[in-house]
Amino acid sequence: MIKIQNLTHVYPGSRKTPPRTAIANLSLSIAEGEFCILSGPNGSGKSTLFRILCGMTLPSAGSIGIGGEDLLANPAKARAQMAVVFQSPAVDKHLSVAENLAIHADLYGLRGADLTERREEALAWTDLHDRLADKVMNLSGGLARQVELAKCLLTRPRLLLLDEPTTGLDPNSRRSFMEALHAIQRSRKMTVLMTSHIFSEAEDADRVAIMKDGALLALDTPQALRSRLGTEMVVVQSRAAEALQARIGAELGFHSHRHGDEIRLEQTDSSASLPILETLLSRYRADIDSIAIKQPALEDVFIHMTGQTATQAETAQPLATVEAGQ
Amino acid sequence: MIRVALSLAKREFVRFMRQPQRVIGTVAQPILFWLFLGSGFSSSFRAPGMANVSYLEYFYPGVMLMMMLFASIFSSITIIEDRDAGFLQSVLVAPVSRLAIVLGKVLGGTTIAMVQVLIFTLAAPFLGLHLGLGSLAVLFGAFILSSMGFAAMGFYFAWGMRSSAGFHAIMMVFLMPLWMLSGALFPIEQAPLWLHVVMSINPVHHALTLIRAPFYMTPAEMFANTDWLIALGVTLLWAVACLGGSMARVEKREKGAAVPA
Repeated sequence: MIKIQNLTHVYPGSRKTPPRTAIANLSLSIAEGEFCILSGPNGSGKSTLFRILCGMTLPSAGSIGIGGEDLLANPAKARAQMAVVFQSPAVDKHLSVAENLAIHADLYGLRGADLTERREEALAWTDLHDRLADKVMNLSGGLARQVELAKCLLTRPRLLLLDEPTTGLDPNSRRSFMEALHAIQRSRKMTVLMTSHIFSEAEDADRVAIMKDGALLALDTPQALRSRLGTEMVVVQSRAAEALQARIGAELGFHSHRHGDEIRLEQTDSSASLPILETLLSRYRADIDSIAIKQPALEDVFIHMTGQTATQAETAQPLATVEAGQ
Repeated sequence: MIRVALSLAKREFVRFMRQPQRVIGTVAQPILFWLFLGSGFSSSFRAPGMANVSYLEYFYPGVMLMMMLFASIFSSITIIEDRDAGFLQSVLVAPVSRLAIVLGKVLGGTTIAMVQVLIFTLAAPFLGLHLGLGSLAVLFGAFILSSMGFAAMGFYFAWGMRSSAGFHAIMMVFLMPLWMLSGALFPIEQAPLWLHVVMSINPVHHALTLIRAPFYMTPAEMFANTDWLIALGVTLLWAVACLGGSMARVEKREKGAAVPA
C-alpha cells in the first residue's frame, strides 16, 4: 500500500544555517491492511515523512507509491485513497458535527444516497449519533477526536495516516479511540500508519518502525523487536550510574547500556538474570538505589535504539502543522 | 470544483452570521462614519459639476465602497485562523484543486460583503437616489466583481502571514490610503496633478467609478461611457490578477533542497 524508495529530504539552508538532511535515503514498504506504528525521537525525521506522505512537502529525492499511484507525479489520485488525522484538530469548532461532515463530503465529491450510507457507516463506529447538531467546540476531547475519525471514514480510505491522534486524551478516551481504530482497521482491512510515542498503543500493531536521524533503525513486529533485547534484563538505578557502569564493565566484564541514572544489562539467557542481580547487589549495594529483573518492553527497545526515553521523545513538536505561506 | 468552492464559501458565510457582534460591527461602523463625516462636511463641500449633490449623498457610494473593501479583505483573516485552528490542513490534503480553495474563500468574502452592502443600499431612497432595476443589477455586478478582486488580494497577503494582528496592521497600511485616494472623500477632479495621477492608477478608484455611476446613469449610458468602461476593464484585470496571484501562492509547496553530492 505504501512503497517508499530511497527517500531523501534536505531542508534548504539560509544565510545563517546550512542545509539540513531530515530524511536520508529511506526505503520502507507497508502492506495492504497492515497496522504500522511509526516512532522516533524529536528530529528523527518522522514529522517530515508524515508531511511528505500527506503531499504537503515535496522531497528532495526518491519515490513514494500510495496504492500503486505515484504520490509525486499524481498527488490528487494518491490523496484520494488516503485520509489523514492530524495531531492538532482539523475540524471547524464553530460548526456542528453534521456541518463538518458535510464539508468533508464536499471536499471528496460525495453526495446523495451514497453519502447518506457512508455517513451512517462512519457514525456507527462513533458515539456521535445524538450529537450531530452540537458544535464541535461543545464536545469533549474524546468526542472531538471521533469527529475526525468519522470524517476520515466517510471517504472509505484505503490508507489512514494518523499523527499522534491520542495526544491530550484521558486514558479512557485514548483506550476507546484505539479500540475503535483497531476494530475499523480489521473490519475494513484498511492500512494504517500512525505515529505515536505511547508504547502501549504500539503493542497491538502489526509492525513498529523506529526512526532516528532520518534513517529507519528498525521495522518489525512488536514481538520480534522485543526479542532483540533478549528475554530478560537487569535494570539498576543509581545516582552514580556513570561510574558504576564503568566499574561493572571493568570488574565483572558485563556489557551494559546506560540512560541517565539507569543501567541496563540485557540477557538472552533468562537463567542468568538472577545470578547477575545477586552479584551486583553483593558487590555494589552501596551505589545501587534500586535493582530489578524485567522482561523487555517496546519502550526498552526504543530506549536501546534511540538512546532516549519515551518521555524525552514525547516532548517532540507536533508532527504536521500547515505552513501555508511556504 | 464549483461545489467545493461553494461549500467552503457557505462555511465562511455561516461562521460570519453566527457571530452577531461581527455582523453589527461591520455594518454599524461605516454607517456611523457616513452619518458623522457626511453631515459634518455637508455645508462646506460641493463637488464640481454636482451642485445639487450634498456631501452626504456624494459620500454614500464611498462608504459603500468602504464596506465592500473592508469586508472583502478582512474576510481573508480566516485563512490565518483556519491554519492556526488546523482546519486548513484537512482542506490541503483533500484531492481538490487549489483554485477551488481560493474561490471558496473569495466567494465567501464576497457574499459577506454583499450582505452588508445590501443593507446599506436600503438608505439610497432616503437620499433621493432612485435606482432602476437595470442600474441596481449593474451596481450589484460591480460590487461582486470589485469584491472578488479585493477578497483575492486579501487572500494573497493572508496566505503568507502568521498572525491575524499582523495581517490587520499590514492591510490597514494599504487599505486606508487606497480608499482615501479612491475619490470616496473628495473628487479626483479637484486633486493636484500628482495626486490625480496616483488616484488614476489606484484600482479602488476604478471600483468607485463603477459603483457611483449606477446612481446617476442608466445601464445604456454606462456602457457608452468611456471612463466607466475603462474602470470596468481595470477592475476586471485587477480581479483576474489577484485570483491568479493567490492561486500561485496556494500551489506553491514546501520543497526539499537538492541532495548534497
